[in-house]
Amino acid sequence: MTTTIDGGSGQLEPSAKHSNESSAPVDVAGLVGPSKGDRLVQIAGVLSPVMIVLLWELFSRIGVLDARFFPPPSSITGEFWDLLKSGSLIEDSWATLRRIVIGMVIGGVPAIALGLVLGVWKRGRQVITPIFTALYPVPKIAIFPLMLLIFGFGEASKYAIVAIVVFFFIFFNTLTGVLQVPKIYLDVARNANASRLQLFRTVALPGALPGIFTGVRLSVGVAFVVMAAVEFVGAQNGLGFLIWSAWQTFAVDSMYVGLVVISVLGYLCLVVVDLVEKFTAPWADR
Amino acid sequence: MASRLPPVVADNDIEVECLVKAFYDTRRKVPVVAVENASFSVRRGEFLSICGPSGCGKSTILRVLAGLEQQTLGEFRVAGDGRNPAMVFQESSLFPWLNVQDNVAYGLALRGVRKRERRERVQPLLAMAGLAEWTHAYPHQLSGGMKQRASVARALADDEAGVLLMDEPFGALDEQTRVGLQQELLRIWERERKTVVFITHSIEEALTLSDRVLVMSARPGRIISEIDVPFERPRDAIELRREQLFGELSFRIWDLLRAEHGPTENAVDA
Repeated sequence: MTTTIDGGSGQLEPSAKHSNESSAPVDVAGLVGPSKGDRLVQIAGVLSPVMIVLLWELFSRIGVLDARFFPPPSSITGEFWDLLKSGSLIEDSWATLRRIVIGMVIGGVPAIALGLVLGVWKRGRQVITPIFTALYPVPKIAIFPLMLLIFGFGEASKYAIVAIVVFFFIFFNTLTGVLQVPKIYLDVARNANASRLQLFRTVALPGALPGIFTGVRLSVGVAFVVMAAVEFVGAQNGLGFLIWSAWQTFAVDSMYVGLVVISVLGYLCLVVVDLVEKFTAPWADR
Repeated sequence: MASRLPPVVADNDIEVECLVKAFYDTRRKVPVVAVENASFSVRRGEFLSICGPSGCGKSTILRVLAGLEQQTLGEFRVAGDGRNPAMVFQESSLFPWLNVQDNVAYGLALRGVRKRERRERVQPLLAMAGLAEWTHAYPHQLSGGMKQRASVARALADDEAGVLLMDEPFGALDEQTRVGLQQELLRIWERERKTVVFITHSIEEALTLSDRVLVMSARPGRIISEIDVPFERPRDAIELRREQLFGELSFRIWDLLRAEHGPTENAVDA
């Protein structure tokens, strides 16, 4: 707005007290960045995990820690390279990752579709949602034996259990996402003569995207937990299998390798989800 | 809509006859009449304001005209091909997932206008709204005033019939931004000469912008008076406030609204 009020004869003169010319610049030289102490704390924060690993190495070597349960990190690293070179670590990581990704797609796609449809279709929501609300508290890992019964010992049972777990998280978060779209956006679309399909595509879907991503993010975490547990008992490869068989053969180094790799994989999956969200929903700056 | 009046040849862009809107209050379990028997018309190119206290049903009338609510009784007619007249909403109603340009072009996109043509048609509107540099910004990056300017641009872009509905578009803004936007709206209206129905609870805003003001009372929502605003155009929102008539007209409306409330408590005491 560039409107200026014409001074006119009745205008009061601005007093010298408030005019810009006479005021001295405020002295801000005393304001500097973080103090020395602040910076030390920052550095300590970065170094503290490294310190723990070094202490672990030290205590394990001098016998303060029982090396049978807490082998020194250097020996875990050696085991990591051995497993990597033999190809078995790649095979196990790939097996776990593949099961999680395929299971998430099988469970996630219908979850998003159903969540969106029921989000805009009130009657359907009232009839169908109670089914899933009732099933929600069932601990999903507990139905793995049933999955084994139905799908056998192959990959299908693993996909199925991940798909079921993921479905609930993504379905409920998508549904909530649609229901939380502010009413005024629907008004805007209806005022612009949007058809039902356009309303769905231009308002319900983008409005629910942040909710969908919340569901996917939660699912990634839970999928790794479930997959590790499933591979303990129901698989011949995978990181869960690696950890479990390390226990059976008392190869504690391998167990730690499995733990570290599964954590890193889970973290990387979350990073990928965040990147996809930044790309598809750049407005939702969390 | 079946209950719309058939198109008549007239200079009126909007005709409303005996419009009634009643709700059922589920909490108190009683029907509530929000708008009681409203009848008015708006000439082509006229700027009409509906002014009244909150709860008088002024927004409800507009929502019926905008195709967002179905009236209980009565009929109305809006110029055009039967599409809803474009509306500027009260609060920030821009889609957070679209940038400014795509928000303004939303109605065009729904009608299947190609992307390139959309951008070409929207660009002059963005320039007019002072948002040319914010074409690719997202709403959360804009100030409240800029958001409402973009909302006005969106309504102008989607307007085929020359009718604009504005529901307290500047109500949530601070006084200075508000007067600034009134200035800009006056300037835009001067250029485009749209038929406007403008809802506001501010008497000053109604007088500043309109050719005519309908005054409503609350409970039941009823049009109690109609006031012609004779100020010459082009107008200046700030200079207008110096005019003696501006004060007189605003007191006339205050008196109308006060009469509706009955004698004040002081008067009862005396």
